[in-house]
Amino acid sequence: MRSATKAMAVAATLALCNLDSAQAQARARADVSCNPGPQTLQYDCVIKVANARTNEPLSGLTLTIGADMPSMPGAHSVRPAVATEDPDRGTYRARITLEMHGDWALQLNLSGATRDRVVKVLRFERDRVGEAVPARKHGPHKH
Amino acid sequence: MIDLVQNTIDGVMIGSSYGLLALGFTLIFGVMRKLNLSYGPSIMIGGYLGTVLYLQYGAGLLAVAGAVVVGAVITGIYVERLCFAPMKAGAGIASMVSSFAIWMQLEQVAILILPRHTYAFPALATGLPLEFWSLLVRIDHLIVLCCALGLAAAVQLMLYRTRFGLGLRAIVGNPVAAHLVGINVQMAVLLAFAGASAIGGVAGFLVLAVDQQITPMFGMWATLKGLIAMMIGGLGSVPGAVLGGLLLGVLEAHSQWYFGPHIRDLVAYLVLFAFLVLRPGGLLGGAPETTTPLKA
Amino acid sequence: MDDYLIGVLSNIGVISFVALSAYLLLLTGEISFGQQAFFAIGAYAAGIATALWGWPLAAALVWGAAIGGGAALLVGIPTLRLHGLYFAVATLAFAEMVRILFELFHYQISIGGELVGPNGAEGFRNIRYIFDNNIDAFQFLLLIYSLLAVALLGFMLLERSRIGVTFRMIGEDETLAGLQGISVARHKILAAGIAGALAGVGGGLYAHLTTYVEPRIFDVMLGVHSLAYGLIGGLGTALGPLLGVLIDIGLLESIRILAGYRMIIFGGLVALLLIVRPRGLLDEQVVYWISRLWRRIFARVRRSRLNPRDRNV
Repeated sequence: MRSATKAMAVAATLALCNLDSAQAQARARADVSCNPGPQTLQYDCVIKVANARTNEPLSGLTLTIGADMPSMPGAHSVRPAVATEDPDRGTYRARITLEMHGDWALQLNLSGATRDRVVKVLRFERDRVGEAVPARKHGPHKH
Repeated sequence: MIDLVQNTIDGVMIGSSYGLLALGFTLIFGVMRKLNLSYGPSIMIGGYLGTVLYLQYGAGLLAVAGAVVVGAVITGIYVERLCFAPMKAGAGIASMVSSFAIWMQLEQVAILILPRHTYAFPALATGLPLEFWSLLVRIDHLIVLCCALGLAAAVQLMLYRTRFGLGLRAIVGNPVAAHLVGINVQMAVLLAFAGASAIGGVAGFLVLAVDQQITPMFGMWATLKGLIAMMIGGLGSVPGAVLGGLLLGVLEAHSQWYFGPHIRDLVAYLVLFAFLVLRPGGLLGGAPETTTPLKA
Repeated sequence: MDDYLIGVLSNIGVISFVALSAYLLLLTGEISFGQQAFFAIGAYAAGIATALWGWPLAAALVWGAAIGGGAALLVGIPTLRLHGLYFAVATLAFAEMVRILFELFHYQISIGGELVGPNGAEGFRNIRYIFDNNIDAFQFLLLIYSLLAVALLGFMLLERSRIGVTFRMIGEDETLAGLQGISVARHKILAAGIAGALAGVGGGLYAHLTTYVEPRIFDVMLGVHSLAYGLIGGLGTALGPLLGVLIDIGLLESIRILAGYRMIIFGGLVALLLIVRPRGLLDEQVVYWISRLWRRIFARVRRSRLNPRDRNV
């Protein structure tokens, strides 16, 4: 039993060491704007992806959007939607269906020529999507 | 100097709502020795019902208050029947985790009733605050304070001057012996739960009416504040609940004034932690019982 | 394996660490609502190590575990005398304090012209180690599960060892355990430290999995959830909390069709489950029956291999 533990520990360490192949990837920057879609809790999002350093639009990538609620990781995650690219290079569109209104962290997963992930937190309400403001807690009013 | 007094007054005012929340909490905990994590959410359901009445039917203040209390009581009884009644005596954590599962359920029910993040809630009392030598006191805050003190006195009277209260105290002391003496423990616990939920409903209504809005965060907030106030004041003690609430309110008011909302919350938890480590019985409780509450 | 499944499995793996952390404390008889604090500390520590200091992942994870374990010891010592509800609320208070402190924590360094690092309530973004180093989702998944396997093996060994038995003894009846000459304080502190380190590893993995953490993630909900997993899955074995996580996240994913009612269904199911099985699915009794069954099958197999003459020994 003890040797089994040792073997697993060695395997895990080897796995970790092999992961350290240093190869810098191009960083991506994404601008997201979402609007309510035809049905409740559906939102159409437009994402503009560019190289973070050169601001050159990144085209031809596979972009999937996942969403998770910050307040409970993993529990409310939404099935990722694959985005389609516009003829306009670097612009992608996707429709996401959320579970409820509120703050969601959108995970924009890029793969293909560039592999990256950008996270944007937005507040999704019935008639608009805006910046997520940290929740206002009930508290004593100031006069 | 004026600031100090003003903040203390503000603190006492908000603290009275904490005290009310703690009152209901302490009734349940004192009788059952089990922690009900659905306490805040049950009140929130009541609050949502009241909001629906207000927004869809334009109901008046008293009707809304009634709806909140009724909603809280019905939900409270639901929680008691599902999470606490069927459990055997020692399964404290199972009840607690079960109440947590129902907390999640209730939160989703609330969002289904009213999907948006914020809704307006009728105001308790509009009008200019009263002025005493350049100190401001809001009328609605004053109403809350009076309700808190009144209800606390009523509960204390009930516990120590009525047969029902005697029965409850007997159950707290030794449930088996109480049963043997002929007290219907199940019914008494159910009634205590209902009563605690009703008090919670009143507390919730008052807080919402002062705040004039309701959000889905209310449930957790109410549970946490009630819990902190109860622990500071002393588990199972009615005057302790009120005192704990007031102290919490005052500390929060001062911290917020000088350091902002983050520090305010930090101080609340720090004080709680300090009390637990140094004086777990709280302000008015004795040393924690040798029979540990809520064993794993 | 499609990306979505990898994502869900990765989530299950990472959350299992916090679940195991709460489970370990439950074994010693203490209810903790605060393990998410060490999860948070591990996440931030590991994230800072790779994103700001340029450490390799392995070192960052160890660092996260160490800080998590250290913080756990720091909190475990003053709360030694507390039990039951008092201990639970104390851990809750501590965890919330940690979360609020993270909302005030700013530590940013300019790297390549960009500010990187935790920025209070806005969170800590761009923990991009796995992207900068070409680790794909599946590889990371393997990493999570190999570390989880090591943890599980550790638990299996623990259950058979003297320390494990001692933990359970303390959990059953602390006074009695003390009367047997066991140093209850030392064992509880040990348990607290290990639990903190476990949660710290989970946090480090989480930070790198999602590349973005913010204080809001590490709130009371996560804490009560991690406790609940052990209760649902069973307190008889370390596989119990894992089962709990699997049921929660797995079941939630599969009842996606009833999207708006997921929590209602799930909450109701859990409440009903706890009525019939208050110590979870794989509680101590079930585990005992399974091990007895296993032993019987084993013995029968062994006997059938013996010489016919020796069979009835």
